[in-house]
Amino acid sequence: MAIRALYLEVGDGRHKAAEICLKCGVCCNVAHSCHVMFDHRFNPRYTFVYDCLASDKGVSNTNIWLCVSCHKCEETCPYEVSPIHFIEALKGNALSLGLVHPTIRAEVTQIVTTGFAFPVTGATERQRQALNLKPLASKAVANLGKIAERTGFSERLKERQP
Amino acid sequence: MKYALFLGCFIPVRLPHLEAVARKVLPDLGVELMDVDGFSCCPEPVGFLTDRITGLAVAARNISLAEEAGLDIITLCNGCTYTLRQANQTLKADAALRERVNGILAETDHQFRGTIEVRHYAQVLSQIVGIDKIESIVKKPLTGIHIACHPGCHIVSPPEVMGFDDPLDPMVLDGMISALGAEPVDWDRKTTCCGWTLTNYGDKESANRLLGAKLEAMHAASADCSVVICPQCFYQFDTGQMLAARELKIEYKIPTLYYLQLLALAMGQDLDASGIMQHRVKDTTLEEKLRRLTA
Repeated sequence: MAIRALYLEVGDGRHKAAEICLKCGVCCNVAHSCHVMFDHRFNPRYTFVYDCLASDKGVSNTNIWLCVSCHKCEETCPYEVSPIHFIEALKGNALSLGLVHPTIRAEVTQIVTTGFAFPVTGATERQRQALNLKPLASKAVANLGKIAERTGFSERLKERQP
Repeated sequence: MKYALFLGCFIPVRLPHLEAVARKVLPDLGVELMDVDGFSCCPEPVGFLTDRITGLAVAARNISLAEEAGLDIITLCNGCTYTLRQANQTLKADAALRERVNGILAETDHQFRGTIEVRHYAQVLSQIVGIDKIESIVKKPLTGIHIACHPGCHIVSPPEVMGFDDPLDPMVLDGMISALGAEPVDWDRKTTCCGWTLTNYGDKESANRLLGAKLEAMHAASADCSVVICPQCFYQFDTGQMLAARELKIEYKIPTLYYLQLLALAMGQDLDASGIMQHRVKDTTLEEKLRRLTA
């Protein structure tokens, strides 16, 4: 997945900005904002820009899943390249290529099938009862199923080999 | 003022004591919370990047339920606010995308019309209720409690969508803490992510190092506790701190509180009613100070 292939998804203005990226590293060296400096896989040589944006195989780089979409790189990039838009576009391609992070796959499946991102357990209900809160019952499941069918998301969620 | 209460998932499923405190204190500030049947997960902002149009449709469906009730949405979570405000703004501005999403929603009998606003409760309190009103409702000022404010990432960025605070120098939560009579401390690493994503999709050692650095900065600033407005941040600083402290051999404790718990205490509720005693990280010195102030 070359960066060129992402142009359509991130828009013309954005990809022109990407072309002037100097790989200065400011986006990944925002010492008091982005969390990337705490992961051993990141250092000034292996940044989102080098690994993801300048690589033909960015979408297969598991580091893209460490981006929390905090937009701090966007706030600090001196050339308005905004790596977040490319990282998000890479994530958008991951599902159809069978490269989505397994935790993400499990989480979105859970949401579409139950309406909640986390399982509602007996312990949850006991805690809620003790606090005089209503039991949890999602009335959204049928609607979510229809949405996922209509967009093809249900089909794309099925496991694919990369 | 009436709002549709959007609970999301994290608080009602994992931290229901925070839902309980929200239902107790917000009405006393004139914020009436209405339950709307049928809300789902917002959906979760990182996961649904894998399928943006499905994520937008799920968010649009949630917004449409509040539209049908004629109510603006109030949220308790940064992530929910981020997802719903992004979707609301995007769909209001882009007619072609709105038409596409409404086509997807057709079979659900809901349609996005773009008639309401979405706000985090911190936005409602700071921008609509007002700091003066918060100050006026305080019965037990939290004098002498030093607090490290951590607003979190998704409530401040991107600022043109979130409309809450400066992402690189956030001070609104500090003002909300001062209104309770407590003292916000100036601390390093205030804007660093809590590490929730690193814990879940990265490696836990890195997340622990991040959390350790944040705790060290809070400790260096002599904070008695931290305050958050997001359940994921809360979970990291509470359960995450307990786990990280074992790994990193941290000897001090920095309890974390959800803003509405501090508000409840300042409004005269006791520690048990505020839910603080259910937290993983407890510090007897802080508890004694709070008991004395709220007696």
